Amino acid sequence: MDQVGYIILAISIVVILLAVFVISFVLYMRTPAPKGCEKLGIGPKNCEDCNVEGCMIYKQRHKKEE
Amino acid sequence: MDNIKRGQHKASFLNGILKENPLLIQVLGLCPALAVTKSLETAFGMGLLFTFVLVSSNVIVSLLRKLIPEEIRTPCYIVVIATFVTIVKMFAEAFLPELYSSLGVFLSLLVVNCIVLGRAEAFAGQNGVFDSFLDGVGNGIGYTWAISLMGIIREVFGLGTLTIGKVFNFFGEPIKLPILKFVEVTFDAATETYERTVHYDFSISIFQNPAGAFIVLGLMLAIMAAITNHKKAVEKAKEKEAKLAAAAAKAAEQAKLAGGAN
Amino acid sequence: MEMIISYILAIVSYMLIDNVVLSRFYGICSFIGVGNKVKSAFSMGLAVTFVIMMATLVCYPLYFFVLVPAGIPFLDTLVYILVIASLVQIVGLFIKKNSPTLYKTLGIYLPLITTNCAVLGVVQTNSDASLDFLTSLANGLGTSIGFLVVIVLFACMRERMNGYNIPKAMKGVPIALITAALMALAFMGFGGMVG
Repeated sequence: MDQVGYIILAISIVVILLAVFVISFVLYMRTPAPKGCEKLGIGPKNCEDCNVEGCMIYKQRHKKEE
Repeated sequence: MDNIKRGQHKASFLNGILKENPLLIQVLGLCPALAVTKSLETAFGMGLLFTFVLVSSNVIVSLLRKLIPEEIRTPCYIVVIATFVTIVKMFAEAFLPELYSSLGVFLSLLVVNCIVLGRAEAFAGQNGVFDSFLDGVGNGIGYTWAISLMGIIREVFGLGTLTIGKVFNFFGEPIKLPILKFVEVTFDAATETYERTVHYDFSISIFQNPAGAFIVLGLMLAIMAAITNHKKAVEKAKEKEAKLAAAAAKAAEQAKLAGGAN
Repeated sequence: MEMIISYILAIVSYMLIDNVVLSRFYGICSFIGVGNKVKSAFSMGLAVTFVIMMATLVCYPLYFFVLVPAGIPFLDTLVYILVIASLVQIVGLFIKKNSPTLYKTLGIYLPLITTNCAVLGVVQTNSDASLDFLTSLANGLGTSIGFLVVIVLFACMRERMNGYNIPKAMKGVPIALITAALMALAFMGFGGMVG
């Protein structure tokens, strides 16, 4: 009983957490952004202070500057 | 057709090693690169475990890419990666206890490693299994050689010696190479004391400190950037030359034509 | 009284001596990437503080009262990352629905916090070292304040560095790492402050 019970418990914990995560993730993605913030996100305009050189947007921005 | 495919396989394998090296060119995965590079062996071990996680998560993500709904992609990737990290943790705890204790929490932090998640999102989620496998191996090798190099630099300059066989201790006694520091310990049987004779010692202890990690990585990235800049400049000059030559040839041809017409 | 002093000392030591970025190397990606605007660095730091505290509060009972008695402590990493990711999403959902101003400042950083090593690092060290509940909270608080302090200081320094003539190869990340090295040297001075 012990071994099987533990395995079932472990699986159920992981599945519950995963369900919580997936539901909150989907809800977050589906909630419309509040007014005035629709365009927040990744893009040349919003990434001006970013210094990650591997990023595609950084490369594009600096190509334009050159 | 076959040639094109082979070229693609080759590209997905080779890109990660040098041209798009995850650490030195894309500047990803800095946390483990700074934290576990105190010695060559921990760095190399981290690289190996990282490669295993990357390759297996790439393969599984690529196999599942048509089953996973678009909307919940990221959660699925995180679960796949976390599973393999747990496997690697248990493996290391059982078979490489020395490595496990020296890597500490950074083994668990592979879950949030930007490279693993980034490769899953950018490559394995869109490409076939074999390509994803090669991509994982290439990126793993690229990351491993980069952090191993850092480990060598930090260990040689910081401790003055290079120890081999302490973490991977399947081959008997570890070997300690005296490169910048040579201390001889002799046992005096008559007085029962150890005697230390320092033959030479040029080690700089800052390389073992956190500050040294930042400096070494910063300089390596700068050297890499300098090389890329130089390559770009050479290419540009070549292009310019070719353009000039083409223009000159054209002009000469036109002159010839004009001459012929006359 | 002595208890309180020991917790305060623990917070200070997690904050300054064992600083999260400069000596434990968590969260370097956001440290380097968040850039040179003090304001965005500050809001990022606040968001990380909040998530770290929430994650500590949730994960501690989950590990010691569920995973350990059930005999499955090896699932800790998987459980933690799921908890942290759902926390971030729930907090994000709440902000998105109720507070447009907060969303405007924090919105871009929310997905970044899930993959910030600092959060998982704190939670994992708490359970690896089997710290008690209050020390875990002290660890969380000290770590997150340390992160906030360092990231804001760093943004200030990079703001100043904007006008300087830096060699082309050193621009961007390399010079940021050298700056971080100098900061790490300065923070080494705090070593030995708490006995």
